[in-house]
Amino acid sequence: MFSKLFKIENPKGVMGINRRNLELVYKYNHPKHYRWADDKVLTKELLEENGIATAKTYAVIKKTGNTRSKWEHCKAYDAVAIKPANGCGGDGIKILKKDNEGSFRSGGKIWDDAKVYKHITSIVSGFFSMNSSDSCLIEKCIIPHPFFAEIYDAGVPDFRVITLKGTPIMAMLRMPTSKSDGKANLHQNGVGIGIDMNKGILTQVYDGKRYSMTHPDNPTPINGKKIPCWKEILALSKKTAKVFPLDYLGIDIVIDATEGPQIMEVNVRPGLGIQLVNRCGLQQAIEDQF
Amino acid sequence: MKQHRLQIALTIAALLVCTFTISKIISLSKIQVDFAGETLYNVTHKYYYKTQENGGRIKWFLPQNNGRQHISQVALPKTTQALASRELHNENVLGEWLTSENHSYGELEYSYTFSGKSQQFSVPTHFENPTKELAQFLTASEYVQVNDPRITEVAQELSKAISSDRKVLENVYNFVTRIPTAPIHTRTDAVSVLDRKSASCNGKSRLFLALVRNLGMPSRLKGGLILESTSKRTSHVWVEVFINGQWIPFDTTNNHFAFLPANYLEIYQGDESLLTRSSKMEFDYVYEMEELSSVNFMGMTFQNVEQVSSFSLVHLVQNKLISEKNLFLLLMLPLGGFFVAFLRNVVGLKTFGVFLPVLIAFSLFETGFGLGLLLFLFLIFLVGAVSRPFQSIGLLHTPKLVISLSVMVVIMLVGSYLGWAAKIPWLSALTFFPIIILTISAEKFSNLIVEDGFGKASGILFQTLIAVSFCYLILSMKSLGTLLMIFPEIIVMVILFSILLGRYVGFRWTELIRFKPLLNFKTA
Repeated sequence: MFSKLFKIENPKGVMGINRRNLELVYKYNHPKHYRWADDKVLTKELLEENGIATAKTYAVIKKTGNTRSKWEHCKAYDAVAIKPANGCGGDGIKILKKDNEGSFRSGGKIWDDAKVYKHITSIVSGFFSMNSSDSCLIEKCIIPHPFFAEIYDAGVPDFRVITLKGTPIMAMLRMPTSKSDGKANLHQNGVGIGIDMNKGILTQVYDGKRYSMTHPDNPTPINGKKIPCWKEILALSKKTAKVFPLDYLGIDIVIDATEGPQIMEVNVRPGLGIQLVNRCGLQQAIEDQF
Repeated sequence: MKQHRLQIALTIAALLVCTFTISKIISLSKIQVDFAGETLYNVTHKYYYKTQENGGRIKWFLPQNNGRQHISQVALPKTTQALASRELHNENVLGEWLTSENHSYGELEYSYTFSGKSQQFSVPTHFENPTKELAQFLTASEYVQVNDPRITEVAQELSKAISSDRKVLENVYNFVTRIPTAPIHTRTDAVSVLDRKSASCNGKSRLFLALVRNLGMPSRLKGGLILESTSKRTSHVWVEVFINGQWIPFDTTNNHFAFLPANYLEIYQGDESLLTRSSKMEFDYVYEMEELSSVNFMGMTFQNVEQVSSFSLVHLVQNKLISEKNLFLLLMLPLGGFFVAFLRNVVGLKTFGVFLPVLIAFSLFETGFGLGLLLFLFLIFLVGAVSRPFQSIGLLHTPKLVISLSVMVVIMLVGSYLGWAAKIPWLSALTFFPIIILTISAEKFSNLIVEDGFGKASGILFQTLIAVSFCYLILSMKSLGTLLMIFPEIIVMVILFSILLGRYVGFRWTELIRFKPLLNFKTA
C-alpha cells in the first residue's frame, strides 16, 4: 500500500525482511529443524555423516570434566580453532597457532594449558551462547587459498551461497578489510563482492555504502576475476542443501589452501544484504532459477 | 485454499464485530445525547418518622429537569399505608406523603440520579425595565424587608452615582459576599443580617434579595443541595435575578457570580422550605449523596451506556471490581502493542522488545513525559555504568541480571532518599518507575553495547524512545480509554488487524533507505 502511495518501483525484485520471513524462512524452514543449523556440532556431524567437506573436527567438549584429556589430544596439531557451538557474531572464537618453540599463541600472546582450559570452560558453561550450557568445538584451522591473498591478505574470507529447495540462487564473497579487524562480516566493516554464478567470476565490491571495482585495500580491479573451484563450491552447496531438512539456507564456504572448499556453517535466516552486493533482488533471482 | 479460507473467516469476523459495534452505536445514539453532564450523583432523601395521633404528612419539593440538570431513575417512596403524590406548587413540584396510621414508625426513601453541568452567564451592562408580570418578584415580605429604611439606605449607598446596572449589581453582590458565612440553620431575615457580623446562606441570600428588589431588579430565592460524596442535613439557598429575559444565579455564600457549579442541584424557587411535615410527628432526615464515576463520551455517561448495552466494561468500574485507571491500562496494552508492532514491521523501527515501549510509556504517566524520559535515560546509563565491571569479569547471564536489578534498587532508594533530604522533587520521583521494566531496559541496552557496540545500541535505544513517545501520545488520549470501555470489542478488531499486519510482506520504511540503490523512486 505504501509503495503504491509513493510510487516506488521494485524492478529488481528486492525482498524486505517481512517478505523474507513469511515467504522463505517460515515457509521453507521448520523451527524444529533450526538446531541443525544453529548448533555447529550438529551441523558438522550431519556434514561428516554425508561425506561433505568441512573443517576436520579434532574434539567436541560437552562437559568440563573431559577438557584435559581432549585438549591433550588436540595439542598434537600445529593450528586449531576453538569455537562455541552456539556462539553468535564470532564471539568466543579463538585461533591458536604453534610458534617456533612449540607453544600455542593467539594474537601474539602465549596460551598455556591453563588459559585454554579457562576458555573452554567459559564456552561450555554457556558464556558466549546466552544459555546455561554449550558445547566447545575444536577443529582444524583453515588456511585460506592463495587466491584471496591476491585481493587482501588477512583474516579468513568466505563465500555465502543462498540455496532454495536445493538450488543455489545467489552468492557473494565476503572479505575482511584493514578496518574490519580480521572479520569478513558486512556489519563489521568487511566488504561484500558480488558473484556471477554462471561464469564463476567476481562482479563488484560493495562496502555498505558505495559500489566500486576494487577492494578498499588493493587498487587492482577485481571485476571479472575467476573464482577457483567455483564448480566445486556450487556442487558442495547443492549437496549440503540436500542433506539438511531446511529448504532455505545461507551456506558459508571457505577455500582451504590444501583441502579445497569446506562448509563452515549454515544459517536459517541469511541476511538480505546479499541483494545489495549483487544489485539483484532475491525474488528476481528465484524467478530466474525456477 | 488455506489462504482463501483464512480470508473468508477474517472477513466474517470483521463484519460481525462491525455489525455489533454499529448496532450498539445506533442504540446509544437513540438515548438522550443532548445532555452532557459534568457530574453524576445518586441522591437519596431519607426520612425517619414516628406518628402519634391523627397520622402524619410529609411534603418536600422534587427536583426537575432543566437546561443544566437532568434527573433520572426517580424512585418515590412507596409504603403500604400511603403513596407519595406529586402536585404543582407555584412553579415547583411538590411531593406529598400521607399516612393515617397512628403510633407507627418507619422510614421513607426518595432517590434519583442527578447529572449536572456548570453554567456561566454573561451579565449585560444595562438591564431592561421589568414587565408587570414580574411585579411579584419585587415585593417585600416578612423576612425580606425590601422597603425597610435600612435596606434602602444600603441600596442607595451601593448604587450612588453609578449608571451601569451591572456595576450596581456587582457592588451589592460584593457587599453581601463579604459578610462572613456562619453555620446557622435558623431562618434569618434580611435586616437582621445587617446587624450581625456573620450570617447563614439563607440570611445572606435574603439580604441580597431585599437589596436588589429595592433597586428594582426582579429576583427570587432558589433552593437546593450542594452535592458531594457524603451524608448531610444541610440544604442550600441562593438567589436568581431576572435580567433581560433570563434568570441568572448569584450565590453570595460560596461566591458564584452569575455562575452555577455542576454539583448544584436546583430543587425549588421562592422563599420556601425544602421539607415540611405535620407538627405532631417525631421526625428526622438525612440526604445521602454518592458521586458516580461519570465519563463523558459523546454526551453519554456510564449510566446511560449501562441502560442500553450490557456489553461494555462500565459495570466493572461501577461495581469497583477494577479501578478505571487499571482498566484503562489493561485495555490500552493490546492497542499499544499493536502500534509497536506496526512501528517494527511496517516502519522498521528496532525497539527493545514489543511490549517494553508500551510499558515504559505507562510509567512515564507517573512522572510526566519530559522528566520521565530524562529519568529513564539517566537510570539506564547509571545502571549500565555501575554494572559494567560485573559485565567484564565474565558472569553467567541470569546472575548478571540479578546484579543489575540490585543496582537499580539501590540507585532508586538512594536517589529517593537524597531527593527527600535535599528536597529535589525529580530525584524522589525515581521510585515511580516500575523497577522490572527499567532493569530489563537497562539490561537489553548493556547487552546490545557488548554485542553491537555503543553506537548501534544507542541507535536502538533512540528508536525505542521514539516508539515510547508515540505510545505515550496514544495513551494520553483519554477519550480512547472511554471508547474502549464502551466498545471492548475493539480488542477483537486489534486481533483482526494484527492478523493483517502479520501477513504484510511489503517493505519496511527503513528498508526503502537500505535498498535505495536497487529501487526506483518516482514522485507522483
